[in-house]
Amino acid sequence: MVQSAQFAHSLEGWFGFLPLWGWAAISAFIVIYFLALPFGGLATYIERKIAADMQDRIGPNRVGPIGLFQFAADAIKMLSKEDFIPKGGDRFLFNLAPLFVVVGSCTAFAVLPLSKYLIGADVNIGVIFILAVTTLIAPGLLLGSWASENKWSLLGGLRAASQIVSYEIPVALSILPVVLISGSLQIGTIVEQQGWTVFGENPATYHFWNAFHNPFTFFSMFLLFVGGLAETNRIPFDLPEAESELVSGFNTEFSGMRFGLYALGEFCDVFVMSAMVTALFLGGWHIPFLDIEKLGFALPTGLVAFIQFHVFMIKTLLVVFVVMWLRWTLPRLRVDQLMGMCWKGLLPLAFFNVLGTALWMWAFKGQSLMQLLMGHG
Amino acid sequence: MNKVLLLAQILTVASAIVVGFHPNILYASVFLLFTFCGVAVMFLYAGADFLAGAQVIIYVGGVTILILFAIMLTQWLYKIKLADIRNKMVLPGVLATIIGAFLYRALHQMVLSLPPQTPEALEKFSTTPKTALIGQALLGSYLLPFEAITILLLGAMVGAVWLARPE
Amino acid sequence: MNQLIQFSSSLQGYLAVGAILFALGIFCVMTRKNAIGILLGIELILNAAGINFVAFSKFRTGLIDGQIVALFIMLIAAAEAAVALAVILRFYRLKQTIDADEASIMRN
Repeated sequence: MVQSAQFAHSLEGWFGFLPLWGWAAISAFIVIYFLALPFGGLATYIERKIAADMQDRIGPNRVGPIGLFQFAADAIKMLSKEDFIPKGGDRFLFNLAPLFVVVGSCTAFAVLPLSKYLIGADVNIGVIFILAVTTLIAPGLLLGSWASENKWSLLGGLRAASQIVSYEIPVALSILPVVLISGSLQIGTIVEQQGWTVFGENPATYHFWNAFHNPFTFFSMFLLFVGGLAETNRIPFDLPEAESELVSGFNTEFSGMRFGLYALGEFCDVFVMSAMVTALFLGGWHIPFLDIEKLGFALPTGLVAFIQFHVFMIKTLLVVFVVMWLRWTLPRLRVDQLMGMCWKGLLPLAFFNVLGTALWMWAFKGQSLMQLLMGHG
Repeated sequence: MNKVLLLAQILTVASAIVVGFHPNILYASVFLLFTFCGVAVMFLYAGADFLAGAQVIIYVGGVTILILFAIMLTQWLYKIKLADIRNKMVLPGVLATIIGAFLYRALHQMVLSLPPQTPEALEKFSTTPKTALIGQALLGSYLLPFEAITILLLGAMVGAVWLARPE
Repeated sequence: MNQLIQFSSSLQGYLAVGAILFALGIFCVMTRKNAIGILLGIELILNAAGINFVAFSKFRTGLIDGQIVALFIMLIAAAEAAVALAVILRFYRLKQTIDADEASIMRN
């Protein structure tokens, strides 16, 4: 368990033999090339395949077996495109803006709990850390749209920023019940408490997935999911990129790798939001009704980490699949509907959930529905 | 011995200088964002982990976006020049320097009058998580200011909506 | 260089950054005509105050009271920014400018 301040201090102590910027560059390289880029790339491929399935088409099938290397071909195509900056635009901001989006979504990977033994930095303000770094995306969209010197871009950027700022509130409020239950902002702790063990000696400390802790958290999960959809500008909330009204929204003027960075940032953001739903509500790395560390015999740590990693990824990718599924199912909302839904629908519901969870914690002394049913505690 | 902290402070000061002197109001607010991030890192090194997160969420996610919004609404859609016509700069510059130097001097005197912490206490302070402590303090000895702040925020929200309402 | 690093992580380093931000904020408020520019200066001043509170909280008192005051400063800054920008937009509708020197109806 690394505290944030301690973590910052220890960076210099442990890795003194390379300058700090060297380590920063290496870790950025690892995160981007082994985590963000393959996921972002594969997500575009999977999304196109799912879209094709839902529309009864075949989808990409030319590059590599069943079209698997399509994303690599896309990346090469993007890299070889002309690096175009609009004439009346703002060069500096045009270059800067995509970086905000990428930094915002890739930094959040640092605290994702891939497994109990595989968390980049399990900082004690983990939840706030994710919320904080992902706010960097909004200025990226806004500045990029401004720098494009294009009316449609700017409208898209303004829509994106207002949408993200508005939906930040229900997202944060729907996380609050989880924090109430676990009494911690540390993601590792929050996930650990969602375990379930029939062999364990102290079942009262484990309360199964937060989604099934009580009825209010169950609704909070959907609030977080809907809010996350809106924050990542996905259908049915993709008004900033509404092609029927705004050409392509904030990224109209972006081409080549700059467009690629926007797309990568968006897919990474979807992954981060799905991972957040998984970690906070769907038990993270835990297999339902089974704790692989308390089977009665000890598994090697590496194997445990391996299994947990895959469990976490399967859950997260299922959530990502739902996101993609919605994309090809639902129509787009209007702007007034979008804002009305946030302020008149999600926000009161989120407050209701926080209050309800607090009452539940008070009435049942913090026990989850499962614990009450099983008669534990 | 913190190179990261020094870098953050340099970032903070450098971007604050851009905020103070850049004629383009949009650039000034973009660099204000970097100042906020630098201050957040400084908070992190001062053992204020929760505060650092809150700083980024409130300032970068809230205030900067609002400011950029206001700039874009008033200056692009209505074609006002971005470049800010500046008043005379010499007298304010001298005044600000004097005030800043005086402030530093006064605080420095205050530093000498207060007993310093031991290195062990400093280390302990920077590594304890602060979220729970802040929460207890807000609902304990700081309950009244906390409630006052909530009323202030509610009033500010209602007031802002009322002011910006369409005719 | 080592001295500089030592200075930066001491209380004086924090105070120096705070004082510089404060001076720049004052300068920004005094020289800018644009109302939003003045708001930027005010944000700098508030941040400088927050830095000082947090620094004293760590290096002198060892209590979290300074951090709580800094948190209050942040919340007040957020409320102030929201109201200020609403006023600016309102003022723009009234005068078709956001030049702060034009806000002089009350003068005569």
